[in-house]
Amino acid sequence: MTHQTHAFHMVNPSPWPLTGAFSALLLTSGLVMWFHYNSATLLSLGLLANTLTMYQWWRDVIREGTYQGHHTPIVQKGLRYGMILFIVSEVFFFAGFFWAFYHSSLVPTHDLGGCWPPTGITPLNPLEVPLLNTSVLLASGVSITWAHHSLMEGKRNNMNQALLITILLGVYFTILQASEYFETSFSISDGIYGSTFFMATGFHGLHVIIGSTFLIICLLRQLNFHFTSKHHFGFEAAAWYWHFVDVVWLFLYVSIYWWGS
Amino acid sequence: MLRNLLALRQIAQRTVSTTSRRNFENKVSEKQKLFQEDNGVPVHLKGGASDALLYRLTMALTVGGTAYALYQLAVAAFPKKQN
Repeated sequence: MTHQTHAFHMVNPSPWPLTGAFSALLLTSGLVMWFHYNSATLLSLGLLANTLTMYQWWRDVIREGTYQGHHTPIVQKGLRYGMILFIVSEVFFFAGFFWAFYHSSLVPTHDLGGCWPPTGITPLNPLEVPLLNTSVLLASGVSITWAHHSLMEGKRNNMNQALLITILLGVYFTILQASEYFETSFSISDGIYGSTFFMATGFHGLHVIIGSTFLIICLLRQLNFHFTSKHHFGFEAAAWYWHFVDVVWLFLYVSIYWWGS
Repeated sequence: MLRNLLALRQIAQRTVSTTSRRNFENKVSEKQKLFQEDNGVPVHLKGGASDALLYRLTMALTVGGTAYALYQLAVAAFPKKQN
């Protein structure tokens, strides 16, 4: 029985990168079939294969860290770098949509009426549900910080409550935003205003759903005693991602909802 | 009076193991034993039979789906001539 003489993690061979890559093929070709040939079969197969891949890949990471002890300090450092770089890439992703918004709204063209919001567009009142949404996400930032401190101090009940509150606030935001989407007098096809509004807020909403899912997984792990007061990187990664989602909303609110009205 | 109060507090604190609480007992050490067994099984299959089932399902969907995608590509590449 050989043992390694270093602190790094040499992973077992895994099929998930392969199934992940092919599921991406099915997703993209599935979109083509759906858009142009009115068939959702490939897309559904792709979504299913992709979801199964994500579930099993991350399940294996939990097994490697919590059950097999592979997440030494230096391995954890690598995971931290990885999460930070991923969030940075997401910042650039959103930067594109903000660029498009500012490009169109700072110099509105003649066919829009030379003004922003364009002629004929009635924007949502920023002091109504959008402001509530802002307070909901800001509060969730407070509750997740409370959860983290409780975790570090070994206060189990507090941590469980605070994390649950954070998740409920995230779900509340999603429900509010979904109802707002029905309330708008404009749609995604209503010119550049509709496009920039729904692309930016739509992708943000998707990220809220992703973040909420990550937090739910953390709650399940916490209830199953996976986290210790000193070692809980999965939770920290979820918290970083959640703060990122909150900050993106603040930029959205100030730029599109407030200045853009 | 105070002694009764203290006794009540002890009983209330002892009722931790209700049926709902039993779902969240600390089973981490059992899992650690299972996944650290020196049997050469890779981590994605080490949990048991259900791992193999899920793996086969995922692979089947992936391979089958890829074959279907390539078929649809062939159909799209050679459109049937219409008069």
